[in-house]
Amino acid sequence: MLREDFVIQSNVRRVLIRSNIDYSELTFGTVRGVIYVQGRFKMGGAYGGGGGREEDEEFVAKTLRSLELKIRSIPGVVDVKFQLVNWKKERGQWIPSKQAE
Amino acid sequence: MDTVETSGMSRSRGRPVKLYQQISIEIEKEIQVHPNYADLQNQFGLLLMVEGDPEGAESRFSEALSINPRYREATLNLGFLYIEMKRWKEAEKIFLSEVKRHPKDGFLHHTLGVLYLRTGRPEEASVRIRKATECHPYYRDYYHKKGVWRGGRVRLDEKREKVLKKIHLDYHYAQFHNFVGLYVAKQGKSTQAVREFRKAAKLKPDEFLFHANLGTVYYYQGAYQKAIQEFKEALKIDPLYGMGYANLSYVYGLMRQTREALRCMERAVRLNPRYADLQYNLALLYSDRRRYEKAISMLKKALRINSNYLFARINLGVLYEEQKRWNEARREYRKILQVTPDNEDVRRRLERIS
Repeated sequence: MLREDFVIQSNVRRVLIRSNIDYSELTFGTVRGVIYVQGRFKMGGAYGGGGGREEDEEFVAKTLRSLELKIRSIPGVVDVKFQLVNWKKERGQWIPSKQAE
Repeated sequence: MDTVETSGMSRSRGRPVKLYQQISIEIEKEIQVHPNYADLQNQFGLLLMVEGDPEGAESRFSEALSINPRYREATLNLGFLYIEMKRWKEAEKIFLSEVKRHPKDGFLHHTLGVLYLRTGRPEEASVRIRKATECHPYYRDYYHKKGVWRGGRVRLDEKREKVLKKIHLDYHYAQFHNFVGLYVAKQGKSTQAVREFRKAAKLKPDEFLFHANLGTVYYYQGAYQKAIQEFKEALKIDPLYGMGYANLSYVYGLMRQTREALRCMERAVRLNPRYADLQYNLALLYSDRRRYEKAISMLKKALRINSNYLFARINLGVLYEEQKRWNEARREYRKILQVTPDNEDVRRRLERIS
């Protein structure tokens, strides 16, 4: 498959813009089909909390799963590496990082 | 109720009043939380103006300016409000001061022209209209259409003056629709946003921002051809709008038209040489086209602007590695690991070439 990092990068940008994520503290890059997403993960506007803590965390975890899937479905994407300061993936599950407490 | 029928400020039927009222309530709540946000005060002023409360609007625009005295949009809003309230001297003072700061802004000359017409000073109005035509071809075309500009001269009579006098309100309403457009766009209501931005652009077709915002919403919707058209329109109005070229480049990228994307990103970088993100994207384009030396040079530039630009450094390391420039690749990978020691990917890459 023709893999062009700029095309992938443009697609990731659009995925983020179309999401309910506040991406103001996220940066992302594309290196030979591998996507790096770095920074603090926050939900945007109306989605930024309001339920109980557990519900909110579950919602953010679902959003992260969905984001990962969307990015992986972009043609040419080989892998997605998240380096978030407030969330991490352990045994396939998204959980809040302790340092962000 | 589905129409605004208040004072002389309101002039058309069929506005989505419920939406505007809802926004008004939300902005008021936000102001309670952030009373010192000048943009919230300015936005509330626009809403009050459209709702037909000029005194309330004046107080909000003034509040915005007391928070941030250099807030140009609030200054202009206040100036137009004074025109509407027939407080000519205060309006004139604002626009003369603005035109001194921005002598090439045709719209300011145009507004002063309208103000002079409304205060019975046709000669001064002619001077300003002429200056507006010298600032941007749009005004020459516009006055030509309205019959005010003929054979290189300003021609004013009662009928033409009447047409021009009506126009000043367009600014306010255009700003208002643009603000509502941005507001609903943030909520993901892109169809409503398009409607509002189109209204804004129709009222003030020479404002690049309205076309740029339209372009962004079309981009969001996936209507790429329309997005391109609007970004191009914005660039026609303001050829120095570097982010317009960047946005065009992203759209071309989505359409896999990378040659065009490259051309646009090169221009974006030329216009915004201090924006590392654009340099990074240009580097990706060069790299995709196997112009590796150019890609390396662009990544180095991005890193000179922002030495913590992690992805730029990873891309640089990978490019060096692919060029078999092992020492340079190792150097970049080590720098990355100093900042992010748990970056296993980079660690593996470093181990492979050590």
